[in-house]
Amino acid sequence: MIVADRKSLNEILDMVKNYNKILVVGCKGCVTVCNVGGLKEVQVLAASLKIGRKKEERPLEVDEKILERQCDPEYIEQLKDVVDNYDAVVSMACGVGPQFLSEAYPNQKFFPAVNTTFYGGAVSHGIWEERCAGCGSCIIHYFDGLCPIARCSKSLLNGTCGGSDRGKCEISKDVDCIWDKIVKKKIAQGRLDDLLPITPAKDWRTARDGGPRKARREELIQNG
Amino acid sequence: MANASENKTIGSVMVVGAGVAGIQASLDMANAGYYVHLVDNSPSIGGLMAQLDKTFPTNDCAMCVISPFLVEVGRHLNINIISNSELETLEGEAGAFRATLRNNPRYIDAEKCTACGQCRDVCPVTAVNEFDCNLDLRKATYIKYPQAVPLAYKIDRNTCIGCGMCEKVCLAQAIFYDDKVRQTTIEVGAVVLAMGNDVFNPSAFDTYNYANHPNVVTSLEFERILSASGPYKGHLMRPYDRQIPEKIAWMQCVGSRDINRADNSYCSSVCYMYSIKQTLIAKEHAEMPLDTAVFYMDMRTYGKEFDKYYMRAQDGGVRFIRSRVHTIEPAGDGDLKIRYVRESGELEEETFNMVVLAVGLTPSKDAEALAKRIGIDLNAHRYAKTNDLSPVSTSRKGVYVCGTFQGPKDIPQSVMEASAAAAQATQNLSEARWTLTRTKELPPEKDFSGQEPRIGVFVCNCGINIGGVADVPAVREYARTLPNVIHVEDNLFTCSQDTQENIKKVIVEKGINRVVVASCSPRTHEPLFQETIRETGLNRYLFEMANIRDQNTWVHMHNPERATAKAKDLVRMAVAKAAYVEPLQQVILEVKPAVLVVGGGVAGMEAALGVARQGYQAYLVERSNLLGGVAHQLRLTWQGEAVAPYLKELIENVQNHERIQVFLETEVTHTTGTIGNFITTIVSKNGSQKTAVLEHGAAILATGGKEYKPTEYLYGKHPNVLTHFDLDQAITEESGTLKNAKMAVFIQCVGSRTAERPYCSRVCCTHSLKSALTLKKMNPEMKIFIVYRDIRSYGFREDLYKEAREKGVQFVRYDPENPPNLTSDEQNNLSLTVKDHILQRPLEIKPDIVILAAAILANENKKFFEIFKVPTNSDGFLVEAHAKLRPVDFGSEGLFLAGLAHYPKSLDESIAQARAAVSRTMNIVSKKGILVGGVVAAVNSDRCAACLTCVRTCPYHIPRIGEEGYAIIEPAECHGCGICVSECPGKAISLQHFTDEQINAKTDALFSAA
Repeated sequence: MIVADRKSLNEILDMVKNYNKILVVGCKGCVTVCNVGGLKEVQVLAASLKIGRKKEERPLEVDEKILERQCDPEYIEQLKDVVDNYDAVVSMACGVGPQFLSEAYPNQKFFPAVNTTFYGGAVSHGIWEERCAGCGSCIIHYFDGLCPIARCSKSLLNGTCGGSDRGKCEISKDVDCIWDKIVKKKIAQGRLDDLLPITPAKDWRTARDGGPRKARREELIQNG
Repeated sequence: MANASENKTIGSVMVVGAGVAGIQASLDMANAGYYVHLVDNSPSIGGLMAQLDKTFPTNDCAMCVISPFLVEVGRHLNINIISNSELETLEGEAGAFRATLRNNPRYIDAEKCTACGQCRDVCPVTAVNEFDCNLDLRKATYIKYPQAVPLAYKIDRNTCIGCGMCEKVCLAQAIFYDDKVRQTTIEVGAVVLAMGNDVFNPSAFDTYNYANHPNVVTSLEFERILSASGPYKGHLMRPYDRQIPEKIAWMQCVGSRDINRADNSYCSSVCYMYSIKQTLIAKEHAEMPLDTAVFYMDMRTYGKEFDKYYMRAQDGGVRFIRSRVHTIEPAGDGDLKIRYVRESGELEEETFNMVVLAVGLTPSKDAEALAKRIGIDLNAHRYAKTNDLSPVSTSRKGVYVCGTFQGPKDIPQSVMEASAAAAQATQNLSEARWTLTRTKELPPEKDFSGQEPRIGVFVCNCGINIGGVADVPAVREYARTLPNVIHVEDNLFTCSQDTQENIKKVIVEKGINRVVVASCSPRTHEPLFQETIRETGLNRYLFEMANIRDQNTWVHMHNPERATAKAKDLVRMAVAKAAYVEPLQQVILEVKPAVLVVGGGVAGMEAALGVARQGYQAYLVERSNLLGGVAHQLRLTWQGEAVAPYLKELIENVQNHERIQVFLETEVTHTTGTIGNFITTIVSKNGSQKTAVLEHGAAILATGGKEYKPTEYLYGKHPNVLTHFDLDQAITEESGTLKNAKMAVFIQCVGSRTAERPYCSRVCCTHSLKSALTLKKMNPEMKIFIVYRDIRSYGFREDLYKEAREKGVQFVRYDPENPPNLTSDEQNNLSLTVKDHILQRPLEIKPDIVILAAAILANENKKFFEIFKVPTNSDGFLVEAHAKLRPVDFGSEGLFLAGLAHYPKSLDESIAQARAAVSRTMNIVSKKGILVGGVVAAVNSDRCAACLTCVRTCPYHIPRIGEEGYAIIEPAECHGCGICVSECPGKAISLQHFTDEQINAKTDALFSAA
């Protein structure tokens, strides 16, 4: 899933400082699952904004809403009757949400309440880790299911580098060296020879380097 | 109560002693269909545990964990608490006893007393507070502690001057100066003795200066010092000058393991753990860094998670010094000087601000006298005599024992035995089950749906407890102005019997459909009022309480005006919530009267047999082709009872019992359902793949453990290196190697207390001592060494240690850093080198045989445990619901555990735990139906994102994501704690009776001051 992190209250208060009536919109997708933008967080943020503004003696009117997803126009459309009742709208979805909203409602102002951080998962409750960099051409099968693009600080294809120290990456003792894990797993499986050939440089055009990406599935696209 | 005629089994039981063991036994029996008379010589129940501050190894507050049990006993329809009374005689026999009780006068009618405390406030007499170990004062009219049950005062006539003040102020008219000793008799089918213990009084130890120096305190006194409700309100101070100590020493084994001064040769079993706990808690209480030193002989942290607790203390800087201190000398300014010998032999001198004597447990004088009166044999240590193979039976048939009257032990072991005694006591009474119990007939509930709230508010004066501070009439009139309120009144005592009748009358007359009581604590009184309104046909959840006493007039007694204002706030909040409360329906689910037992070892067989003997069907599933488990390899119990004949008889009894169905070579593959109604699929593994589906109301998991196969010390490489089980077999077979052996060495802690397995296997020290004595008996000339780290012969097992030393067994201690080294030369001669801690030099021993005290491991059952969703700890042992008070239950209702799968334990302990599990299942399967629902979590599936937050945060592992893709929380299993509700990121879960709407109404009311 997409993992996000809520922006600080001060940052959000600053975004909406010129408005007196806003809508906070959550998303029932990834951001609910990573405990950042579901209905509970919508209510917490709404209450916090109200308290923050009350302290400034400039009360803020806040309504709360949750959409199934903010990355589908049909759900976005569910706001059409109310969206113009507000001075501004704060989205608690990932970066996709405020953009879909902005495109659908060109006259309204939308603000992101969260920082979208990475593609990953919860290794345990409250701890999420990055697993995928969305590079557009998956190679993890060469590395026994461990992705050096997302999980090596340098995205090296031929590791380890000299910065690997007792299984940790030189950038921080909290970061595992994924190449250390790849090598150990190969040894454990008796397939260290797999790493003898040099992996050639990756074609990064499928990643962000090739510019904004688009996926078309001709068989799904309906005529008209 | 009905009188039992001659020879007829009586469906009631008597429990003597209302400490934690007596309470557990009473609850178990009362919930399984017997009327219980709970007799205690104290004015209130709770025993020693109520005096403790925290409990090891979880550091839970003792009062917080025992208090709900006290309340439950106090309110139980089928438990009759007979406090302030002693058992005088016991006539008759098992099934039909006649007990004569001496009821000592209380001088206050406990039925009428509302515990308002006026009598105490006016009492001019000052007396010492025994509950606080004489460190504090009380009045002549007193209550032991605020949570006491029965919640009623008592007059101590030894100190009372008879001034009559209390009688004048008691508005409940409960004072009864002329109260006299009375004698009553009760008829019961069985008796459980749970009289507990005293703690050792070290006054006679002049070298410790306890009697002369206030800063030398006993461990129980230190518990009170640490307690937030104690004499110093939880502030760490020393008695002499109320200074904050910076250095405290603990002296272990005071009054235990001592025949020189104390006459108690046994080990008190609990003192090491409570001392470690006290060091940790004292450090928490101290604002400045606190230096703590524990002087000890052997570190006996032999229980579950105990060694880890010990290591935590070591990491936390607690100093553990292996030395028995002879003298504690005053050093001026209240300080104390201690001289001790370091292990290296040097004499050290150190001054401490305070010394805690870790006093042992001693048999209670009263209990001893009682045992003699009713003809119960005591052992050499003056505790109730029992056998290992019938661990809770006394010498008198129909009379059972549990807790520390049977021997020194910790709380979970006492609780286990209490349940075991309950099972044994009721085993032969099953024909009389439910014959003497009381039930309450209730009218059908009225349907108020669609009606506007009609709220009645009752404001209590609580004598002058509330009315003497707050302006109760003003509060009452204020309540009249609140929305939806149609009736208000104030009462002298809202909880009194006549007020209850009045409340019922008013509810019916005025058509009230929501009730608010503004009085004391819901903890003690909410169920009472709920019952009252239920009797009129109102659902019990159409009730709200405002605590305007404990949380208002008691704490703001010097500020009456603001107390009145706060009372109004609290009433306004309660009324606001009451408008939104909804009736909650509890449904009755039918119960399958059968128990599934998994594991055919001793624990499993004892459990199955116990269930069958209680009159219910048992299914016993064992994956091997043989019943008996590891007990087949065990020769003797620690007290020397032969295991083989017992095992043979047990297997026969199990196989021949009409209500036990045994499935050998069978495994569980699937289970569904909840408490009372499980459906489990079992598949035969003997090639036939035969499948059976069992319906059962409860399950007992007794999947057992095994002896570790050592990789150390040439095991498997040299024929004369044996484990305990190997040695037991060799002794049984009278092996020639043993007969010819001239020297034997036992090596302790092989595979236990290591980095990989940081736990103590509990039984190996005792097993080595027992085996060493057997070898000595076979060949008195044999030289025997036991190479050990700490000898952990807890309780009366210490007798074996003493005997072994007397018989010439040599003990050599080693450090884990310098483990012994065992080698073998070309001629297969063994040689063991170990550094002797006294000589500080390596010692070379050339043994003929070496016995490894190998660790006890839990059997691997990962898949099976996952089927039942029961948790294991990092060592692979099953985790019980609560380490102290629910040692046989799992967090999931209806599932129980017993035997080695829980933790290493001796055969007697396994048997006791198995029987305890039987008792716990009787609380379920003996009932026709169980009530489900009420204050539980409910999932709105539309909002659920299946994010797993509830699954991961529930402390009881109840929620799961169902096949439909949303969270499912079974009302029958939910504990109603509300954690998932607060964590759910989708707001998909709500807690009934505590919904957002209800809580928001309450907080809105708080902030919208009138």
